[in-house]
Amino acid sequence: MNLDFSVVANSLPYLWKGMQYTLQLTATSAVGGLFFGTLLALARLSSIRLLSNSASAYVNLMRSIPLVLVIFWFFFLVPLILQGITGAERPPQVGAERTAIITFIMFEAAYFCEIMRAGIQSIPRGQVYSAYALGLTYGQAMRLVILPQAFRNMLPVLLTQTIILFQDTSLVYVISATDFVGAASKIAQRDSRLVEMYLFVAAVYFVLCYGLSYMVKMLQRKIAVIR
Amino acid sequence: MAMIQVNGVSKWYGSFQVLTNCSTKVEKGEVVVVCGPSGSGKSTLIKCVNALEPFQKGSILVDGISVGDPKTDLPKLRSRVGMVFQHFELFPHLTITDNLTLAQIKVLGRGRDEATERGLRLLDRVGLKSQAAKFPGQLSGGQQQRVAIARALSMDPICMLFDEPTSALDPEMINEVLDVMVQLAKEGMTMMVVTHEMGFARKVAHRVIFMDQGEIVEDATKDEFFGKPRSERAQLFLSKILQH
Repeated sequence: MNLDFSVVANSLPYLWKGMQYTLQLTATSAVGGLFFGTLLALARLSSIRLLSNSASAYVNLMRSIPLVLVIFWFFFLVPLILQGITGAERPPQVGAERTAIITFIMFEAAYFCEIMRAGIQSIPRGQVYSAYALGLTYGQAMRLVILPQAFRNMLPVLLTQTIILFQDTSLVYVISATDFVGAASKIAQRDSRLVEMYLFVAAVYFVLCYGLSYMVKMLQRKIAVIR
Repeated sequence: MAMIQVNGVSKWYGSFQVLTNCSTKVEKGEVVVVCGPSGSGKSTLIKCVNALEPFQKGSILVDGISVGDPKTDLPKLRSRVGMVFQHFELFPHLTITDNLTLAQIKVLGRGRDEATERGLRLLDRVGLKSQAAKFPGQLSGGQQQRVAIARALSMDPICMLFDEPTSALDPEMINEVLDVMVQLAKEGMTMMVVTHEMGFARKVAHRVIFMDQGEIVEDATKDEFFGKPRSERAQLFLSKILQH
């Protein structure tokens, strides 16, 4: 077999563009997922039955469906739903990139919800009591006392989930969004250099994810010392 | 009118009754010690006073405001009632200064400078001014509990609730906390204190309430209580804890 890696070198700018989209998608989904996941977690822990039941139904649904399916669904369904709402003649185009972001936020929210729920439950009940006793409202107690501690306790798990998310974003390839994998596969097929390209992509993912995992491990050790 | 008025309060966890028809009151400037064996409901009762625990029957008035009334602005009422917990419950992610100022700023709407000045003055009062920049985890249990008292005082409470404030402390740290509480009592603070520290009760309490199995068995002045408690259960309890 003769391998020619010059194809990688030649297409670096295009691959970098793909990587930028991958990073952007990861960051947006992580932040959005954490935000909505935290709201979901509060809903799941709520004493209002309707709220907690709907939140758990959502989380269980999302966690029981393969991500690929969710991506497909949104890609094909959202335009139809929008058409239904707006009454347009043709389904409006949402675009692969936007679909991907919405889907990932919604999907990741379910996972971040479970992490934040565990985090909130790890805080002793007395912290809530003392926050209330000082006159803080539910919202203030959560925002100022409970969530910052829950977030800190769960930081390693949240980061690990974000690393998984970073890998999962490669699935947007199925709706032809040009992320890192999508860019690589387009070049690979154009130049018939599949082996070289996919080796390179794998190497990049490995280096990034392994490096980040290692950093999370160090962070975990540091947090453990503080406590 | 009494500062804290407890009228026929009963509370159930499911079908298990934890409080049975409890009535008592704490006058302004009075120090009332609540004691009793573990599981007697004394911590539950004191948590009912600022609605940290709901109760199903009876009523509690704090400064004339009904705690159980759904229309009552609980955060506002609680901000006027200081509370100190067994496990201190300082906020571990905030510095001592931030612990002291958080509620002053967020609840009372004080400016940061004013809140800090007030917080540090109270920190000085409990003898811990040098610890202001530290985090709770860097302080000993006794120090943390003194900070917790300062934090409660920084809200200018009309009365103070203490829920077993020395039970989680190593023996050598109990006195530094009790000293602060004695000082507070002598300054005329209205206090309701759940504790096993009978020395503290002897020194500053006006009245002693003895609870057992969710009931207030004895509610007497200090001298009556330590002289000759009327109930057999209180006599038994005292003989057990005063033996050594």
